[in-house]
Amino acid sequence: MEITKLGIKEISHLIRNKKVSTKEVVSSYLDEIHNKDSLIKAFLSVHEDEALRIAEQLDNENNKTGMLFGVPFAIKDNINVFGFETTAGSKILKGYIAPYNATVVKKIRNHGGIIIGKTNPDEFAMGSSTENSAFFPTKNPINTDYVPGGSSGGSAASVSGGFVPGSLGSDTGGSIRQPAAFCNVVGLKPTYGRVSRYGLIAFSSSLDCIGPITKNVEDAAIMLNVIAGFDENDETTAIIKIPDYTERLKDGVKNVKIGILKEIKDFDVESSVLNALNKAVSKLIDLGAEIVEVSIPHLKYALPAYYIIAPSEASANLSRFDGVRYGLEGEGFNLRDFYEDTRTKGFGREVKRRILIGTFALSEGYYDAYYMKASRVRRLIEQDFEKAFNGVDSILLPTTPTLPFKFGEKKSPLEMYMSDIFTIPVSLAGLPAISVPFGESHNGFRAGMQFIGKWFDEMRLFQYSNALFEEA
Amino acid sequence: MIDIEHIESLAALRLEGEERERIRRDLEEIISYFEILNEVDTEGIEPLVFTKGVQLFLRKDEVKVSLNRQLIEKNRQLFGDGFFRVKRIIGE
Repeated sequence: MEITKLGIKEISHLIRNKKVSTKEVVSSYLDEIHNKDSLIKAFLSVHEDEALRIAEQLDNENNKTGMLFGVPFAIKDNINVFGFETTAGSKILKGYIAPYNATVVKKIRNHGGIIIGKTNPDEFAMGSSTENSAFFPTKNPINTDYVPGGSSGGSAASVSGGFVPGSLGSDTGGSIRQPAAFCNVVGLKPTYGRVSRYGLIAFSSSLDCIGPITKNVEDAAIMLNVIAGFDENDETTAIIKIPDYTERLKDGVKNVKIGILKEIKDFDVESSVLNALNKAVSKLIDLGAEIVEVSIPHLKYALPAYYIIAPSEASANLSRFDGVRYGLEGEGFNLRDFYEDTRTKGFGREVKRRILIGTFALSEGYYDAYYMKASRVRRLIEQDFEKAFNGVDSILLPTTPTLPFKFGEKKSPLEMYMSDIFTIPVSLAGLPAISVPFGESHNGFRAGMQFIGKWFDEMRLFQYSNALFEEA
Repeated sequence: MIDIEHIESLAALRLEGEERERIRRDLEEIISYFEILNEVDTEGIEPLVFTKGVQLFLRKDEVKVSLNRQLIEKNRQLFGDGFFRVKRIIGE
């Protein structure tokens, strides 16, 4: 039995039934990391001693309860884990030791999960390839000439490479779904407000969501069972009951209405991705689903609206990084010089670019024309989805317009931003969506299929996507 | 053309030479791409900030245990009764 090929549910089951010890499980994964991560570079830090110590503790416990008992996890490095360096992939946070746990980390640990390392993101989660990490890019485990996607590229690569059976990422405009698609794994962006953001280093507070990356749909449902829920430390979390998200996994898609997008022909989508979409549609019809054409007329305005709203919020959120309380300390005779020096040395080019775009869009004379305009367009996009969902249970879109690209291939920022054209509209509307790998393999890569659900209807997303996943 | 030096100053950043030029060019390209939004009629549309299901609430006004000095000092040495040290603010 090769432990590192198993999923969360299986591992936890084996440990509870004493077929394998937690220590054996953790050691197997650590071996895999030792052997392969010098090439893949999914991790910024691995906490081997602590992981083994906790594994031993868990092995000595008589009462082996908890949905994630004994299972190792990797956490994106923009999520605070007590006592661990937490950099968000930025030099400005180099050396910052988190003095508290994010709520999601606390919940994973309460269910017996073991955090074994922090994964490499694009700096402050701004990017689609991990090439913007201040430390190094992560390689795609399927073919190391290719990017793993981003910004949760390290988290997706850690699952795809067999270093952990599950990880946490964060998704602001596609940063869980796009890397999951590029690495042939499953990634869920929950409804905005379903999972607490407390302890996530904020990028764009009205868009940021934490979610799981796993090998299969069932494991994603199990992880959401653990991390979902109201948190008094995040006033945007919803007071809505958490169901058992695994309940309808086997219910299939018979008589389910799935929407496909009328406007998809207006976008530049690679033929391999379109073929996978068509194949997914035929498969869903075979399984008894009804396919309905839906329209999101403002879809093409989502990308420009997002690149005003997200940088605007980022410019405010990132103003806290000034060198006074933690991380990099610049030089300067007076306070103003010190701030500017710290920030200029500490932030990478893409982060500076976005701070400046956001500062511009919020500045006097431009606020109405840019930020307010974009927020009004955001309302129209939400309304489009609301109308579309009157006639369907879920909408199916490719996760990305292309299969993975190579390092250095995307030359301009705008070219890179296009990788997220199908994930960003969903984020602006706050909807949940899951990406599952599907279709023929091209150089080992399969396309990501994205099921979009109604607000707080993750249950059905798992149901529909699992039907397709099991046929893939 | 955008006044990059003014925006830098608002953002407490200080770009120089080629980096400033490159970022200025990128910004102009990105900002001109935003013009497409002018095709959309947004007359009478309310701006959206928080999406559905989000009801902001207030916490009870209670004193709770917060971070202690030892944890904060893993990142910065405090002085006195627990103050951060900063560079001089007045008297250039």
